[in-house]
Amino acid sequence: MSAVASFAEIVATKEMVQTVVFSLIAGIGVTLIFSVAIWGAARFVDLSQEERPLAAGIAALAAAIALLAVLAAIVVGVVVMTSK
Amino acid sequence: MSSDVILVLVVGTALAFDFTNGFHDTANVVATSISTGAARPQVAIAIASLLNFVGAFISISVAATVANDVVDAGVITPTIVFAGLIGAIAWNLVTWYLGLPSSSSHALIGGVVGSAVAAAGFQVIIAEGLVGKVLIPALIAPVVAFVAAGASIGLAYRVVGKQRPGIVSRGFKYGQVVSGGMLALAHGTNDAQKTMGVITLALIANGSLAAGSNPPVWVIASSAAAIALGTYSGGWRIIKTTGTRIIKMDAAQGFTSQGAGAAVILTSTHFGFPLSTTHVINGGVMGAGAAKRLSAVRWGVAGNIVFAWVLTLPAAALIGAATYGVTSLFGNGAVGPVVVSVLALVAIGAAFVRRAQRGAPVPVQSG
Repeated sequence: MSAVASFAEIVATKEMVQTVVFSLIAGIGVTLIFSVAIWGAARFVDLSQEERPLAAGIAALAAAIALLAVLAAIVVGVVVMTSK
Repeated sequence: MSSDVILVLVVGTALAFDFTNGFHDTANVVATSISTGAARPQVAIAIASLLNFVGAFISISVAATVANDVVDAGVITPTIVFAGLIGAIAWNLVTWYLGLPSSSSHALIGGVVGSAVAAAGFQVIIAEGLVGKVLIPALIAPVVAFVAAGASIGLAYRVVGKQRPGIVSRGFKYGQVVSGGMLALAHGTNDAQKTMGVITLALIANGSLAAGSNPPVWVIASSAAAIALGTYSGGWRIIKTTGTRIIKMDAAQGFTSQGAGAAVILTSTHFGFPLSTTHVINGGVMGAGAAKRLSAVRWGVAGNIVFAWVLTLPAAALIGAATYGVTSLFGNGAVGPVVVSVLALVAIGAAFVRRAQRGAPVPVQSG
């Protein structure tokens, strides 16, 4: 048990776990939200051609919000990087 | 006087190493953007160079790890750092000559550890730093990038799968301008800091800086400039071979692999983990490829990377140790490092001439 404890101490477990978790959240999260932005843009084009302005507007809004969220995530990421 | 000569040699060698790091890694940073048509080669390379330069300024955590947490800075001398650098360059040269994939970052740390052990014994190693901040993160990071990219591309296909391919492809190509930029930024911040760390270690060893000091601004600026110039120079070589060497992938895969790589490298940099950035980028590319089709991944290349990963640290350490042994033959002054520098330049020149006569290999040197 002490060997495991020593190893955990050496490996900086807390930082490693945080690295894995934050990397997965950032990597997967940004792609997912950006995909929603593309989905919204694609739906906006299709619904506009089908002359459904309300639905097209909602799709465009979803795309815009998703895009802003991606930009915000990038800004937060860079700010966190520079804060240490 | 003689220690100042050695210090100048160390700084020059470290910056040359930094330049070659950028030169080798250009392909990894811009490959997906160019192959998916998200950016023209000239634009992608120019942006990558600029963001590598900027990236070098945004953090010093990795430099602090290399300078203070791998070997005991109190017993290090500039000659030890010099021998470590030569060990790293020699190993990179050998693997380049043989066309084997290797990590410049692992070679650098291996070289410094090897020369330090040769000079002062195994007690010079800070096990907590070497294992906890270098070896384990180096092993885990590419796997995390693989998983993140694989999961990301699966989710992306589910979200946009039923939409028109033209719009989806165009959207991800626009996204790649940003994800490629983030990857270049991440590359600059992690890789340039290793050089900063080594130069800082030499300055501490020379008594020019107090133990535990952060890199001075001139070290940060010169390391940033060296890696950016290397990236830009390497790019023009890549442009000529882009059509044959880059694996084809769609824009969504390019975006996810770059995004996953950037996320892993930036997060690791924040915690001060010096990674092989190219192993991480390759992990992301393989994850994005494997999620779509397992056979799309060049598993042979993956195997070579693992093989080289295992070999690089001990091999560079052995060469670093041997180099320190050779410099010691000439005493503690500057004669040893000067002789080794001349021999190294002759060896590099001979290798380039011989390689040019036999035809250039397709190396996968990595950061």
